[in-house]
Amino acid sequence: MWKLLKDLNTHRDLLGIMVGRNLKIRYKRSVLGFFWSLLNPLFFILIYAIFLKILKCYRADDLLFLPMLVTGVITWQFLSMCLNDSLNSILGNSNLVARSVFPRIILPMSMSIANLVNFLFSLVILFGYAAFLKVGGFAPVHFHHLWLLPAVILTHFALCLGLGLILSALNVFFRDTEHVVGVILLAWFFLTPVIYYLEMIPVMYQRLAFLNPMTGIVTAYRTAILGADIIAPRLTLMSFGVAWLVCIAGIAFFQKIEKRFVDEF
Amino acid sequence: MNDAVITVQGVGKRFRLKHHASRTLKATALDFVRGRRRPASEFWALKDVCFTVKRGETLGIIGANGAGKSTLMALISGTMPPTTGTISATGTISSLLELGAGFHPELTGRENVFLYGAIMGLTRKQMTRRFDTIVEFSELGKWIDEPVKHYSSGMYVRLGFAVAVEVDPDILLIDEVLAVGDATFQRKCLDRMKEYRTAGKTMIIISHDLPTITSVSDRLLFLENGTVHGIGTPSGMVEEYQEFIRRKQAASAKRVWGTQEVIIDEVVLDAGDGVGTDQFRCGGPLVARIRYTAKHPVPEPVFGFAVADINGHVVYGNNTQIEKCDLPRIDGKGEIAFRIEPLGMSRGTYLLSFSVHSADHKTNYFRLENTHQIHVTADKSFEGCFMPCRWSTK
Repeated sequence: MWKLLKDLNTHRDLLGIMVGRNLKIRYKRSVLGFFWSLLNPLFFILIYAIFLKILKCYRADDLLFLPMLVTGVITWQFLSMCLNDSLNSILGNSNLVARSVFPRIILPMSMSIANLVNFLFSLVILFGYAAFLKVGGFAPVHFHHLWLLPAVILTHFALCLGLGLILSALNVFFRDTEHVVGVILLAWFFLTPVIYYLEMIPVMYQRLAFLNPMTGIVTAYRTAILGADIIAPRLTLMSFGVAWLVCIAGIAFFQKIEKRFVDEF
Repeated sequence: MNDAVITVQGVGKRFRLKHHASRTLKATALDFVRGRRRPASEFWALKDVCFTVKRGETLGIIGANGAGKSTLMALISGTMPPTTGTISATGTISSLLELGAGFHPELTGRENVFLYGAIMGLTRKQMTRRFDTIVEFSELGKWIDEPVKHYSSGMYVRLGFAVAVEVDPDILLIDEVLAVGDATFQRKCLDRMKEYRTAGKTMIIISHDLPTITSVSDRLLFLENGTVHGIGTPSGMVEEYQEFIRRKQAASAKRVWGTQEVIIDEVVLDAGDGVGTDQFRCGGPLVARIRYTAKHPVPEPVFGFAVADINGHVVYGNNTQIEKCDLPRIDGKGEIAFRIEPLGMSRGTYLLSFSVHSADHKTNYFRLENTHQIHVTADKSFEGCFMPCRWSTK
């Protein structure tokens, strides 16, 4: 672990270049550029909001429903975009990997960081939206738990990084990882309270739901940004613990397997 | 103190040849369930390679295509792990493998230079200082801001070489870059390499250009089929390598063809004493006995032979027609012989061909092309064919 940190330190410029490149490549040749990272979740939110309204999934007097949905979707977007980008971070740079020596972890890590940068911009917008609701008195929003935010973001990033590392490595060995990930992400999306409240889960399953790291993360974001009540701090901590475990497992797995990448190209 | 910078010990590299581009999850799962591994064919590109390179030394690697030179380079550079054995290298390694040090085609030359610097662990500031030298050396001018994919192969190599050397590594690996680029640039590269050498840095070079590699290297490593054939002085190794190439060429020049109305069963060579041999002496005799079988009566056949040097150039040829040794008709088994005396070639290895064809040269009944190798020794070291020659002074 110590060696990894040392390697990353000597190659911090490379990490910076790769992050910049990832951000640049994503919006190259698109007219709206960066705004796509906002428009995308916006459309998602619009679609879910309309459908959930038609299906009468929430009460008409529930002022927090829309902010809750917005927070959930933007948060989820970070994870799903990050994983989709990470998948090809090794394969897409095979000529670099085959011909030069540097900590391979930089490739998926730079993807996660690029997505984090994107996500932070979205958070600013989200925050503005929450402030607008509060000032205008449109919803009972308050910022008493805002101090939670850094810890949540860090944990969220750790989860994305860990999974990104695992998937990028697996995809080198099994090219069908990509397809499997699509299906799993879809199932995971519905198993996480993104478009619904945690309270909508039957009580007997609520504890179980926190084994899913995203459950703790999404609800914690709602607490931090919208001021929703802190739900079961212990369970949230457990959720965070799972996220960090995934992160550590991802790094360990990646370190173990990175030597074999070149043989697979 | 041990001043070995690179130590390669018992290194082997195995490649699995796969018939599919990549494994699928399904195939792996099925194999796992059935408890067997896919019958992937294996291929050892390198086997039991051992050597060390000292600080400040330049090691050249020679060998035929597919001998494992580039694989060895990749292992030393660290992009690939060895299957067996260990490789240790102290210091930073900069490598120029297979054209271009991993340039990204979409990025400009400038971006690639900084990317390479970052990969080597140099800061942006350090790279900025070297940037002008790199552009100047590579002679790219304004092209430096064009995407690398638009470069000609010469520009690509020039930039690659400039960057690889300019990041000032402790160890420089160069894989066959001198072959590309024009003579002027080659000269420039060699000068830069000499400078690098005098600075006491270590270098490993692969090249098929024997004169060049001999002049730059302190020692040469000769790889043959993934194993070390030898390691030693450049001149000695080059000689061994050339001998190896000659033998290979001789083997590939061998050919047998014809309509087979007459078949040459066997040709036995001797030095006049009736004992079969392939060793001859310049000035001595050479006797060849050709045993043949004619399947049906063949009128007026012509037997001939040719002597070629190791490069395939015929130095002498003769046949029964030229010498007016007319054969009226042959049928069934028979033998025909010729004797050359004195043998007048310079020392070396020669290839003999034998043939039997029709009198009008239109039908080749049978031809043994370069099938018999002979070695000729001579007291004098003249060149070409021997012609009696006497020198005199006024």
